[in-house]
Formats: sequence, C-alpha cells, structure tokens
Amino acid sequence: MSTAVKKQWPESQRHRPRPAWLLFARQCRATATMAATGQLGEGPLFLMDYLLRFLRVAVLLALWRIILSGKGEVSGMTLDGVLTYTLISEVFAEPLAGRTEIAWLLFQGDLGGRFLRPMGLVGQLVAETVGRWLVGLVLFSLPLLLLAPLLGVNSAPSSPIALGWFALSLVLAVAVGLAIDLCFGALAVAFHHNVYMVDRVRGGVTAVLSGAMLPLALLPGNLGNLFSFLPFAAMASAPLRIYTGTGPIGPLLVSQLVWAVLLWLLARWLWQVYRQKLAVHGG
Amino acid sequence: MRVLKLWRLYAWMDLTWILQDPITAVTYFISDLFVNLTLVVGALLLAERFDGIGSWSRDQVVFMLGYAILVRGIVDGIFGFNIAFISRRIGRGQLDHVLIQPQSFWLALLVDGFTPFSGLTATLPGLVLMVLAGQRLSIEVSPGWLGLFGANVLGSLGVILAFSFLWGSLAFWSPRGAEEISSSAMRMIDQLKPFPLDGVAPLLLGGLLTVVPAGFVAWYPVRALLGIAAPLPTGLVTPAAALGFLALTILVYRKGMRHYGYTGSQRYHSMGHRR
Repeated sequence: MSTAVKKQWPESQRHRPRPAWLLFARQCRATATMAATGQLGEGPLFLMDYLLRFLRVAVLLALWRIILSGKGEVSGMTLDGVLTYTLISEVFAEPLAGRTEIAWLLFQGDLGGRFLRPMGLVGQLVAETVGRWLVGLVLFSLPLLLLAPLLGVNSAPSSPIALGWFALSLVLAVAVGLAIDLCFGALAVAFHHNVYMVDRVRGGVTAVLSGAMLPLALLPGNLGNLFSFLPFAAMASAPLRIYTGTGPIGPLLVSQLVWAVLLWLLARWLWQVYRQKLAVHGG
Repeated sequence: MRVLKLWRLYAWMDLTWILQDPITAVTYFISDLFVNLTLVVGALLLAERFDGIGSWSRDQVVFMLGYAILVRGIVDGIFGFNIAFISRRIGRGQLDHVLIQPQSFWLALLVDGFTPFSGLTATLPGLVLMVLAGQRLSIEVSPGWLGLFGANVLGSLGVILAFSFLWGSLAFWSPRGAEEISSSAMRMIDQLKPFPLDGVAPLLLGGLLTVVPAGFVAWYPVRALLGIAAPLPTGLVTPAAALGFLALTILVYRKGMRHYGYTGSQRYHSMGHRR
C-alpha cells in the first residue's frame, strides 16, 4: 500500500482565481513583450530603418528652414513652431500613425486563428502595437529628442500645461488611429481581402489628411480648414497643435473624443458584420 | 533580341492578367494611382502654398515631381514582382526560382518583372505632370534635350535599382532579418525624392547623393533638364553616378551570390521560415 502523502502547498502558494483585469493586464504585457522582442530577434538590421528615419528628419527640418526662412509668421505658425511640430511628429510617428498588424494578418490569412486565442482580438492587436512602439521609443524617439538641440530645434512644449493636455490628446489620437485601422481592416474583408489596396490607400490618406506630414494650417487655400473637420485630423494634427500651442485645447480634445467614440462604434459594427465573411474565407 | 521577345511575352501575360478580372484591375489601378500621387502630394501642396520651394518655382517643382513619378513608374513597370525589392526574393528563397530558369540570371531579372500595363499607373500621371509643367516653363524639346532626358531617366533608374540591390544583398547573409530591407531602402528614397535640395547643408546633401542617393532620383537630373544648372556637365552626373553605384552593387551582389552558393535557402528546410 502506498504510503505517499499528498503534498500540501502552503496557503500563499495555492491557486486562486485571479481578477479578470489582472489576467488581461498580464496577457497584454506578455503579448507586448513578444512583439517588442520579436523585432530584436532577427539581428541588428532593423536598426537601418531608424538610421534612415534620422536622415529623413534632418531633411524635413532643412526644407522647412528653406521654405519659411525670412517669412515670419505664416498662418499662425512661426518657423520655430513648425520645426517643433515636425520633430514631435517624427518622435511620436508610430503612435500617431495608429497602425496595427491587422492588414498583415489578413494578408497572411492569420487573422482567423487570432479569434481562437484566449484574449480578445482588439486586445491582442493593441498590445502588439504598443510593444513595437516601445522599441521605436527607445531606439529612435528618445535619441531624437536628445538630439533636438543639435538639430537647432526647441523640442519643449508651448507650456507645462500643454504637455499634460498633449499626453491626453495623444491617448485619444491613438484611440482614433486604431479605430480607423480596424475600420480599414474590416473594409479589406468586405472587398474580398484586397488588403494590399486598402492598406496602401489607408497609408496615403492618413499621411496627407492627418497633418502628420505637413501642418494642416500650411496647406493651400481652405484645404487645411476642410481637413481639420475629418477624423484623420484627430490622429496627428490635434495633439501636435496642442503641443505647439497653435490650436484651442478644449475644442481639439472634444473633437478627438467624439471621433474616438464614433469610430470605435463603427469599427465594432463593421467587425460584427464582416467577421462572418472572414470566417467563410478561412481567416 | 531575346530580351524584346521575352518582354513581349511578359507584356502579354500582364495584359491578360488585367483583362481576366477588369474590376480588380481597375481597383488596383486607382489605388496605385492614388498612392503614387500621395508620395509627392506633400511637395505639391507646399509648392502651391508658397508658390514654389526655395529657389524653385511651382512649375519647376511640378516638373520634378512628374519626373520622380515617371521614374518610379518605370521601376514598377520593368522590375515588378519584387525584382526591385530583391531582398524579398532572396529572403523568401525565391531566388532559386530564377536560378533554375533556362536563361542567364541577369536576363531573368531583366524580364521576370516586366509588367508594362500594370506600371502605367505611375508612368502616365508622371508624363502628364511633366508635359503640363513643361509647357508652362516653355522647355525647348530638342533631340539633344531628349537624349539628355533619356540618359538621366536611365541614370535615375540605375541609382534606384543599385541602391535597392545593394541593401538587398544583405539578405544573402540574413535572409529573415533583411527580407524587407529593400522595402526600407525604397521607402526612404520615395520619401526623400520629391524635394528640391538646393540650400540644404553640404554634409546632408552629400548624404543624399551617396548614403541614400535620393537626390539622383529627381532633383539633380531635373536641375540639368530645366537649365537650373548647366546641362553639361550637370546632366552627365546622374548617369555617371548610376554606373558607379551599379559597379559597387554588382561587386557586393556577386559576393552575396557566392555565399548563397554555399548556404542556399532556408526556405525548404524543415524549420525554414515561410514554409
């Protein structure tokens, strides 16, 4: 007869169900870590992207100096303001672009499998996206901020209060960007997985209309005013205007909040409609 | 002669691909047209807003942007299917598909991506912009000017391909890590090509003519074509630079091929990526 005695774990080590939020937070952390380390695991060649981006920033700053030198204030923006706008736009380029891996997952036919994971699809995509941003933050954004004085750019916000509002605006900008990305992903499903087309159009549209490339105030005619009413302006133009003190904080934040709510509702509805179609196509 | 025969064959295949599903083809055309225009729209809007960029007038900028789009269209039209993005072919093990063809490797690269009809989405708008701006600038189109234009387009083409292949050769040594490196190189060229660079600091300008030679894609050749700089010898610099870049690229590429001869592709290994 066996005399083995079942091991008794101390009370502190016994399994207890964890709160759902804690489990979700751990899942997000693990997913973000995998996404971040996934970039680092393929050797140092990914650094080339960041080196080329430094060059791009230097060229953009040089061009603004050529264009605006001696022109004084143009449409409420000075040369220094535009330089700060451009630099901060590049520092936060990834969050302001608000791109997840959804297009790539659709292209690869991997999205269906994501629905089987023990974590919501949106949570997975957002956690992965944030994980990748962290790498860029360390390798590009922080060094660029430190190099700003050498580039002759004042990277400071217009005021300490503006910095606080900018942080909130950045969160809302990310929310809007991610919702737009999910909407475009759903449209890719709707258009029979023509992901390539939808993704490229999305990239082009957002780059021009969001104000990430050029401050909307410096566009010709009434284009800037027109574009500022579109949801894309909530992705980049709004936080950058708040940072540089070239826009009214309250209305900009309210418009971002409204767009974030509307677009997330739209994204949710689109995915409810087209998820079935995705399943029919096999993911 | 064999190149022309093969180009005709590939052009026919490209046309039949378009005709077999015109709706899809049209959507691709529209999206590609849109994307090609968005690559230059920033410079276009700036030129419109400030009546030019730096010392360049608005029409000169438009001509340069047309040239830039045209060159990119030719790259897409002749070197499609990831020939221009060679690191993808190397990294994914698709180089073997080229090597087993009963023709020389370089001939295969020259004809394998020939998609002239699909590439029209960039060449046509590029030509339209150039013609419209050229009329306003009253350019005198002589045989000499056309010769200079042709030589510079070929030069710009050579610089782009050499740059992509130079970086793309890294995929011989790091197939997975460098699979998308040609895309990064091309993206950087696309982002930096639409701006006139007169007045940029010498160090930065040097970088844009060597490290990332975006200056040779449109700015430098158009300076000669529009008479902003003396057509000769300025007009000969881009073709000469292309020859230099191509020579360097061939050296590196051959070295990569020798390495590839020993290691081959991971693609078909049991644990190879993309299997």
